[in-house]
Amino acid sequence: MRTLVFIPAWNEEGSVAAVIAGIRSAIPAADVLVIDDGSGDETAARAREAGALVASLPFNQGLGAALQTGYLYALREGYDCCAHLDADGQHPPAEVARLLAAIREDRADLVIGSRYRDPGKARSDDYKPTFSRRIGIGVFRFFLTLATRQRFTDTTSGMRAANRRVMGLFSERYSPDFAEIESLQLAVREGLRVEEVPVRMLERAGGSSFLTPLRSAFFIFKGMIVLLVGQFRPREAKAER
Amino acid sequence: MSALALAAAQSPKVHLTSQTRIIAAVLAIAFMVLILELIRRDKLQERYSVVWFVAGLGMLAGAAFPGLLELVADAMGVRDTNVALFSIVLLLLLGLALNFSVIMSRQAAQITRLAQERALEKVSEQTASGHNGSEAERERL
Repeated sequence: MRTLVFIPAWNEEGSVAAVIAGIRSAIPAADVLVIDDGSGDETAARAREAGALVASLPFNQGLGAALQTGYLYALREGYDCCAHLDADGQHPPAEVARLLAAIREDRADLVIGSRYRDPGKARSDDYKPTFSRRIGIGVFRFFLTLATRQRFTDTTSGMRAANRRVMGLFSERYSPDFAEIESLQLAVREGLRVEEVPVRMLERAGGSSFLTPLRSAFFIFKGMIVLLVGQFRPREAKAER
Repeated sequence: MSALALAAAQSPKVHLTSQTRIIAAVLAIAFMVLILELIRRDKLQERYSVVWFVAGLGMLAGAAFPGLLELVADAMGVRDTNVALFSIVLLLLLGLALNFSVIMSRQAAQITRLAQERALEKVSEQTASGHNGSEAERERL
């Protein structure tokens, strides 16, 4: 089974090397690809030094386009499964290995690493959402569950693993500015098996979240529109997949 | 209230004055000359100019044959032909702006895919030059 782990990175020169090293020790069989989303710093050089392949987008395109680049590469290079995680050190590589295991065992087509699936097991250094973020999480959880009729707890998780069916779908259709949530809706609508696996996530090593209350409100509003429109998008024929 | 409605019904139709008609005709001609000039200087592609040229012709037709506009105003149930004119122009501009948003979205998607293709090309240059990522990569090559 050929495995690709890709990391979308935008100005993450401080943390990207450590994330690559973590993956190479936790998942030694996997190829590592960093998608440098038009970084202005040394992200691409740091990633190359750490031994990763680097796909540099010529200008910043947003997370969705960066992730799609990874899926496109995995599809074209004939990888059997792929996974992605954030470059800021929030996602422990050992947890990514567990997601990939679920794909290899063919338990699902797309596996999402969820921080909130098993709240009882939370430890002190684990990720804790802020209040405004918790509201957003609740809203998205509710509407995505309504739209897909499947329970999701961590709709915006950036730690995922996928097989070739998902690569084919996401490399063609992946929303550029509302990637995380719309992709889940799309996968479920296209009849793919999507599953959440409880994972641990750490507090971010560097950088801060881009969300302010006003932005959060706008983000939530946009998300609801995206989900509503997504419900009326045409499905692709099953035979095409 | 009823007196007002009565007065409105009895008041004569508001027509375009010949002064407005002349100004409109001059503007329409100047506008079409501008479009042609932009095409000539390669600042505007033909495929995006057709709609503007049609708009210019529409302006000219409205100025030359005011009866046309009154016909439309009557069909809309508007007493003031100027109001009818503004409504039509506003709607047309709205449609054009929307058309541009659609074109912009398509081009944004094309630019994204182009950037992705370029990024992936650079990866294959990297693998071809022997800078390999992992154990699995080394085994394969």
